[in-house]
Amino acid sequence: MDQADILNHQFVTAAYVVTWVLQLGYVAYLGMKWRAEKRKSQAANRR
Amino acid sequence: MKKLAISLYAMIVAVLMIWGFYQAIYVAPDDAMQGYISRIIYYHVPSASLSFLFFAISLVGSIGYLAFRRGNPGRAQAFDAWALAGAEVGVVYCTVCLTTGPLWGRRAWGIWWTWDARLTTTLVLWLIYVSYLLLRRFAAGPQVQTLAAVLGIFGAIDVPIVYMSNRWWRTQHPAPVFGGGSDSGMAPAMKAVLGWNMLAWFAWGVLILILRYRVERKHQQNAEHEALAALEA
Repeated sequence: MDQADILNHQFVTAAYVVTWVLQLGYVAYLGMKWRAEKRKSQAANRR
Repeated sequence: MKKLAISLYAMIVAVLMIWGFYQAIYVAPDDAMQGYISRIIYYHVPSASLSFLFFAISLVGSIGYLAFRRGNPGRAQAFDAWALAGAEVGVVYCTVCLTTGPLWGRRAWGIWWTWDARLTTTLVLWLIYVSYLLLRRFAAGPQVQTLAAVLGIFGAIDVPIVYMSNRWWRTQHPAPVFGGGSDSGMAPAMKAVLGWNMLAWFAWGVLILILRYRVERKHQQNAEHEALAALEA
């Protein structure tokens, strides 16, 4: 494996990791938002 | 029942994602010109194409909101939730496209970025929809949804411009792989892998779009209850 192959491999890995970080990060954000809305509606129902 | 259906669908999506990844890394052949780096195409192209689809959903939601906001407020709120969900998921996909693209470009062209038509119009599209999300997040008042709907429609005009940019102008970005004339096309083995990844990312996108829609509907219900409680107090 020469230097160019190693770099290509690293760049492909970086692209795939960035994609998954962004997508899973967004799902985590959605999960937090959903929990916050659910807590809000439970608090409203208790009132 | 609904929960079970969503869980089942999420499992199918997970299988598709693993299959797509396996195909992209272990099955697809290296590109004759670019070698291993061309494997970025299996994440970059689906993200770019599907961002157009989600922005189109946002466009339909925005038009629906404007059409129904006076006659049928309930339906208008549902359209508004689709508009927001489409814009947000579209921004996520567009962000993936704008980050994987420079990583590919650095190895293929030797540069991270260039102000060519395809890249610039995509960046403008991303900025328009980020503005849309910022407007929805930070502006207050009864006109926010209407303003956002107008901005959503305005932003969607950029989608066909992005799509046609490398047909209308000479760009650093490669010519279209599909539908780009007699010189365009892809090896069948690579086309199949791209197809699997397109399907996997589409299925993933639909899942998060539905989740985002449900979160927004819940938010609308809570806001309505709060408004009613404030009136009664």
